[in-house]
Amino acid sequence: MLSLVLTLAFGLQLSSADASNIPPQKPNVPDGVSALNPGSDLWREVRRRDGVGEFNEVNQGVLVKDLLSEIQRSRQVPQGISQVNQVDSGVMINAKGRRWAAFRMTTLASYSGIALAAIFVIIITFYVVRGKVPIEGGLSGNMVKRFTDYERITHWTLAVVFLLLAITGLILLLGRPLLIPLFGKEAFALLASASKEGHNLFGPLFLVSLIMMLISFARRNIYEKGDLTWLLKGGGLIGKGHASGGFFNMGEKTWYWMVILIGLVISISGLILVSPNFGQGRLIMELMHIVHAVSAMILIVVSVGHMYLGSIGSEGALEGMKTGYVDINWADAHHDRWGKHCHEEDLIVSAEEYARMQGQPADSAEPAMEQGK
Amino acid sequence: MSEQLERGLETLRGEIDNKVKAFFSSCVRCGICAEACLFYTETSDPRYTPIYKTEPLRKLWENEYSFWGKLKSALGMSQAMTEADLADWEELVYDGCSMCGRCSMVCPVGVDISGIIFKVKHGLSQAGFSPEGLVGATQRAVDIGSPMGITLTTVQAMIKHVEADTGLKVPMDVEGADYMALLSSNEIALYPEYLESLVKIFDHAGVSWTLSSDAFEATNAGLQLGDKSIAGQLVQRVVDGAEKLKVKNVISPECGHAYTALRWEGPNFIGKAYPFRVVHILELLDELKAEGRLKTSGQESERLTFHDPCSIVRRGGINAQPRNLLGAISGNFVEMADHGNMNWCCGGGGGVSSNERAHELKLTAFNKKKSQIEATGAEALVTACSNCRTTLEEGVESNEMEIEVLGLTEMIAAHLEERPAS
Amino acid sequence: MIQYLIDGPLWYFSLAVFFIGVVWQLIAVVFTGNKADLSVPRDSAASGAIKTFFSRFVPHREIAPAIMLPVVAGYMFHLGLFALLFFAAPHVVFLEENLLGFGWTPMPHWAFIVAAQFAFFGLIVLWLRRLVNPVSRLISTLDDHIAAILTFVVMLTGCFALLEGSTGLRLLHRFTVELWLIYFPFSALMHTFTFVPSRMLTGAWFGRRGVDA
Repeated sequence: MLSLVLTLAFGLQLSSADASNIPPQKPNVPDGVSALNPGSDLWREVRRRDGVGEFNEVNQGVLVKDLLSEIQRSRQVPQGISQVNQVDSGVMINAKGRRWAAFRMTTLASYSGIALAAIFVIIITFYVVRGKVPIEGGLSGNMVKRFTDYERITHWTLAVVFLLLAITGLILLLGRPLLIPLFGKEAFALLASASKEGHNLFGPLFLVSLIMMLISFARRNIYEKGDLTWLLKGGGLIGKGHASGGFFNMGEKTWYWMVILIGLVISISGLILVSPNFGQGRLIMELMHIVHAVSAMILIVVSVGHMYLGSIGSEGALEGMKTGYVDINWADAHHDRWGKHCHEEDLIVSAEEYARMQGQPADSAEPAMEQGK
Repeated sequence: MSEQLERGLETLRGEIDNKVKAFFSSCVRCGICAEACLFYTETSDPRYTPIYKTEPLRKLWENEYSFWGKLKSALGMSQAMTEADLADWEELVYDGCSMCGRCSMVCPVGVDISGIIFKVKHGLSQAGFSPEGLVGATQRAVDIGSPMGITLTTVQAMIKHVEADTGLKVPMDVEGADYMALLSSNEIALYPEYLESLVKIFDHAGVSWTLSSDAFEATNAGLQLGDKSIAGQLVQRVVDGAEKLKVKNVISPECGHAYTALRWEGPNFIGKAYPFRVVHILELLDELKAEGRLKTSGQESERLTFHDPCSIVRRGGINAQPRNLLGAISGNFVEMADHGNMNWCCGGGGGVSSNERAHELKLTAFNKKKSQIEATGAEALVTACSNCRTTLEEGVESNEMEIEVLGLTEMIAAHLEERPAS
Repeated sequence: MIQYLIDGPLWYFSLAVFFIGVVWQLIAVVFTGNKADLSVPRDSAASGAIKTFFSRFVPHREIAPAIMLPVVAGYMFHLGLFALLFFAAPHVVFLEENLLGFGWTPMPHWAFIVAAQFAFFGLIVLWLRRLVNPVSRLISTLDDHIAAILTFVVMLTGCFALLEGSTGLRLLHRFTVELWLIYFPFSALMHTFTFVPSRMLTGAWFGRRGVDA
């Protein structure tokens, strides 16, 4: 974040200087040639030159479906060859790219913006109506261990990388309508270039942390018998009382598998996008970009909900990811089956013991009772 | 600021040398040292992290030697060290550290953490923040000559018993002897078999030796307290005794901190090199064995394991000798998983065992040793430090473990080859 | 104006602060208050110093399992950063043109990307561990966090400028490097150099006593 802000500040500072430094360029047209519009006919011809049939300005189908069928067709129809000595050598001007570009800049950007705005509105409304979901009887101060250091570091690594990617990704997607009016084109150009490099660089780290996440949490996230009741009770957010759950409840499990599966889709499509040297053509890239963007938007929108529930939305929840310990009353309320297990196995540490393990001297240890009755 | 606090801070200032500067400017607060410390691993209390125990000295260094500290004080923004900065560390440094030095072995940037903790102890002792038990022991050592209040009369009584039991003479105040032996308080009060073993072994090997009536006590409560001037006083007694008898060598008893005090720190405490050599009893026995003067016979069939005394092995460099000696008399010797330079402390070093307040914590820390011993399946636990030995016995007893605790020197004495009658 | 400042005076100022600061600190470590040890050594202090300097690159078998995470992440970060610092193509060119007058073979682009991934991943994990682990959270100082974040920002702006197409991004990277250089001698970043005397002093101490440390 800090770096992005710095980038922007620099961009703003430099944009004026840069603009004044560049001498105005003379159009590169030989004298005596009518420069009115010499290429329009030629251009029209070229657009038809990709050997895939008629260019249809108004395409009626669904973009993704079209892309799929065109990828199919481009493999069958013999192509002419342009000077490009690589994949897509049969494409001289990618006329169809305009449809993808239009989709990206209008449909995708606007729906993404709306979705993002919507989730914030929903959450703020929810917070106003429902407030922080309290623990009945308050917090006891007695704690149980929920996550190891390694598990928390895995979680936060994924979170940090995800946030960096989300922010840079959103700058790239929504920058034109939102940021250019604010900062101007030069500053945004810097920001976008920086974001693109940063985004590409952090992408693979997302996959790595995703795999770490998969290894350390998968077993506890397998669905089991009692999970359906949780769903029927609306996860405890609707109505009174908390819903029953094991170490992870059904909502958490579903979020977990969303992260893993959608995350894998994002990672794979991202890797295809970032390494264009494995024989994929423009059509595949366009398709992958749509997959990448849509799945990422889903994950971003839901992650806002996750962040809310993990922090201000639910009393005592953040503690678990901060220190690795949660209040036993929180465990009983949100994960009653796991809580019961903790009681039976005598895994509860007293408030004093907990304070000690957090490095507070014995005499200053005070149980977190401020919310208790 | 009280006079005592000022004295403590002044002492700490005097402790800031090139090592301290190198150490504090290279520490990156990774916390790896915590995993090496049994007071941390057995309590999960992060305050027992070794480098955290050096905080008073680090704070002083930061305030008065670092760029930011100097800048702050130039701007009048620096916060002076208070009593609390020292008082809060008394428990960490005296109860929660046995000076075992395991942390110093694992630090990736090479900080000798226990070396700095000793410096912190020096400062705290001068500021009056030391445990009563240790201060009392030190006082007795200065006044009476022994931290346990043992006098020459007690020693003479023991000598009488030993002479009666062995039929051999204990040489006392023999001028010009090759070796002058010393005893630790524990060896006088609890383990008279140590002296008995010395008599037998030296008779067997034909060693010219003596005890001194002026300097028989080897322990050094000043070292445990961290008070360097008292530590120097106590070392000086031994040096005077040895010089008076004109001996060539002084034998440090098994006791670990006595060895550190005499062999390594002593010359620095008193500010001059010795006119004699200091040798640890295990070193001497190993030398005698190598020269063929010490011959053993028979082997223990019991499964034995060895507890490395930290001050003798990790911080004393006597690692191979006890293993050579044990190898000669045992046919069934097993090492603990972490042994030698990376052994785990018994929990009673560094004055912890003389500090009654630390009793509970010491027993908690002993859990490490307990699981280590149990993993070997040994029937007897051999060690070579009377302080380790009492701590181990205490731990074994309070955990109701069934294992015998033995001293290495007396085991050697029990296996001496019968000399052909001359 | 800003460009002149960053490419000119601020650059030389930060270099001066860095070099003078580092040398000053090292002199303080090497030359002050080195008390001679009067005890008779059992073994050579010098060989102990050298032994310990190398031995501390690998954790002891007895403690390795407990510290796997910081060791692995630490190596990822330090090796990655080292490769970036000295073998990234733009850095090699920069050092050749501005400081040294000679260059060496830079690493290929793919290696740069891999090194950057290692360095970022290592640094993120180490810094999160600092926040999450009760021990390192307790002992960390403000300086540790500033040093980590500043290094992260320097690396990040470097990657932002990877296309080498924009003066603005290049200047941004250079500016953060300058901040980093100025902060360096007065911070935990000094361990880059002081770990050498630190290990060697301890190694010498153990060496005299005949202990392999």
